[in-house]
Amino acid sequence: MPLKIYIINKQIMTNPQIEIQLIAVVVAIACAIPGVFLVLRKMALISDAISHSILPGIVIGFFITQDLNSPLLILLAAFTGVITVVLVEMIQKTGLVKEDTAIGLVFPALFSIGVILIAKNANDVHLDVDAVLLGELAFAPFDRLLISGMDMGPQSLWVMGVILLITLGLLFLFFKELKVSTFDTGLSSALGFSPLILHYGLMSVSSVTVVGAFDAVGAILVVALMIAPAATAYLLTSDLKKMLLLSVGFGVFSAIAGYWLAHLLDASISGSMTTVLGIVFLLVYLFAPSKGLLSVLYRQKQQRIEVSLITFLLHLNNHQEENERHVNHLNEHINWQKVRSKSVLELAQKNNMIGIENNIVSLTDKGREFTNLALEYIITNKDEKIEHMKEDFFLFRG
Amino acid sequence: MIDRKLAVSVDDLTVAYNYKPVLWDIDLQIPEGVLMAIVGPNGAGKSTLIKAILGIIKPIAGSIAIYNKPYKKQRKLVAYVPQKGSVDWDFPTTALDVVMMGTYGSLGWIKRPGQKEKKASLEALEKVGMLSFKNRQISQLSGGQQQRVFLARALVQDASIYFMDEPFQGVDATTEIAIINILKELRKAGKTVIVVHHDLQTVPEYFDWVTFLNVKKIATGPVKDIFNDDNLTKTYGINYKVAVNK
Repeated sequence: MPLKIYIINKQIMTNPQIEIQLIAVVVAIACAIPGVFLVLRKMALISDAISHSILPGIVIGFFITQDLNSPLLILLAAFTGVITVVLVEMIQKTGLVKEDTAIGLVFPALFSIGVILIAKNANDVHLDVDAVLLGELAFAPFDRLLISGMDMGPQSLWVMGVILLITLGLLFLFFKELKVSTFDTGLSSALGFSPLILHYGLMSVSSVTVVGAFDAVGAILVVALMIAPAATAYLLTSDLKKMLLLSVGFGVFSAIAGYWLAHLLDASISGSMTTVLGIVFLLVYLFAPSKGLLSVLYRQKQQRIEVSLITFLLHLNNHQEENERHVNHLNEHINWQKVRSKSVLELAQKNNMIGIENNIVSLTDKGREFTNLALEYIITNKDEKIEHMKEDFFLFRG
Repeated sequence: MIDRKLAVSVDDLTVAYNYKPVLWDIDLQIPEGVLMAIVGPNGAGKSTLIKAILGIIKPIAGSIAIYNKPYKKQRKLVAYVPQKGSVDWDFPTTALDVVMMGTYGSLGWIKRPGQKEKKASLEALEKVGMLSFKNRQISQLSGGQQQRVFLARALVQDASIYFMDEPFQGVDATTEIAIINILKELRKAGKTVIVVHHDLQTVPEYFDWVTFLNVKKIATGPVKDIFNDDNLTKTYGINYKVAVNK
């Protein structure tokens, strides 16, 4: 069946596989960019709300335009997304409920209006709830953009391409404003960069992106494409520009890997893309160099040993008598397990803080200085003098 | 004082959250060149007063003038240091980048900071003793260091009036002294500095001007004239000595 279509039409891009991957990549990039700011603004849930509540906008837009890819439909539906945000904020401002509750109240209401509209007009509307929720990337190449009989490629590629270009343009122009208003609303407002305008600008871009992406990847999975790449990138970098680049990278990777996974499993493409995103996030969550679970656990273990080390050094500092400084005595006296006293002794030796002679431990000059600085830091909480210790010891870092 | 220019003038300012007034009919004249503390109990509206002056919160009544003109026209004359807790310090950015944000105001929309802004930001970091931390991720800074970065960000704005919301909150003694010395230098240079302050004991030592606030304005003027038992009791509703020793 697809073969037939492709023989009949004159093609610019002939290979539907390439087209599907291209659409997936463009959708992934367009979603990843606003996603970064949503994650940093702790508004990930809003994307979920928007993706559902645009449904009535899409249905009504479809009644008017009869074309799922019409720019008018996209704007109408995106407007519903912005209305969602306004409604959530209105409910929240009453002070009676918190933001998450407000979101939970608004989007099911709007979504259900959409579902009823579809059900009531099921015969006239070429739209069903399954397709809206899950989307179907595999069908995207069937919908061609024809300009005076000439096939210009899949329509959704053009739609998402234009949305992506607009997003990139806005990001390029207003990067600094978005950054300051995301980090510090108060300063942004005082400097004259209205946080309200930037907020609604971001919400509009997010809404338009969600609407554009929904018929390719569906209303639920578009949320994953917005949030997962940004959340993954957040664990890896402390630079906003790098976070944006990494998010885009993760989006593109999961778009292509997801496509081939779907090919392999004969499963839904968007479902596979999301699965890949989830796996990538899990891997990064476990193995990220500084924020990952394993490195956090390692750090906590090191910190425990370091606390023991300081206790041990203090003990040495306080006791001149040899019987208090005997290696074996330390095990019993400070009441540590063998393993712990061994790792503490090793850490102290590695840093040249102690010398052991005939099983008697004594502080070196370095050890004495370290002990005094650590003690002073613990008492005064001033950190100028211990700066150089932060490199080697987790305990003194922020 | 009669000859002094007014840096900030607040007239009949009322601010309400959900129809509950947090500031009630405030009249406040702040002369140029003072180092002023705003003191008052929790919930007195100290931060709200600053935010209303800076247009961050919309008042329901009243007017505000910075050197006789509305704030919107005088943005470049004003620098603001929000409460440290008001931002997310896990935000992916560095100390230098945060300071550079102070230059955004003079750049306006779209234009990006260049070498000139970077140089000014590095100088500001140096002034607060944080130059060696310029590339450090902000969550890796201690509370005192974060506050210094915020101060540097205000300094880079090169303003005439500085508003600071509890700059001494959660900082160590060294940082507190470093900050107050910079504030005193600013005053020496003829700038006006307005600080929301919590520690009543240090008011006479740090400041030359003070405003007592508790939803209404209780008193404002030179510390040596009005920082007394009477005003403290009126503001805090308890005996002055208790308040100071708290």
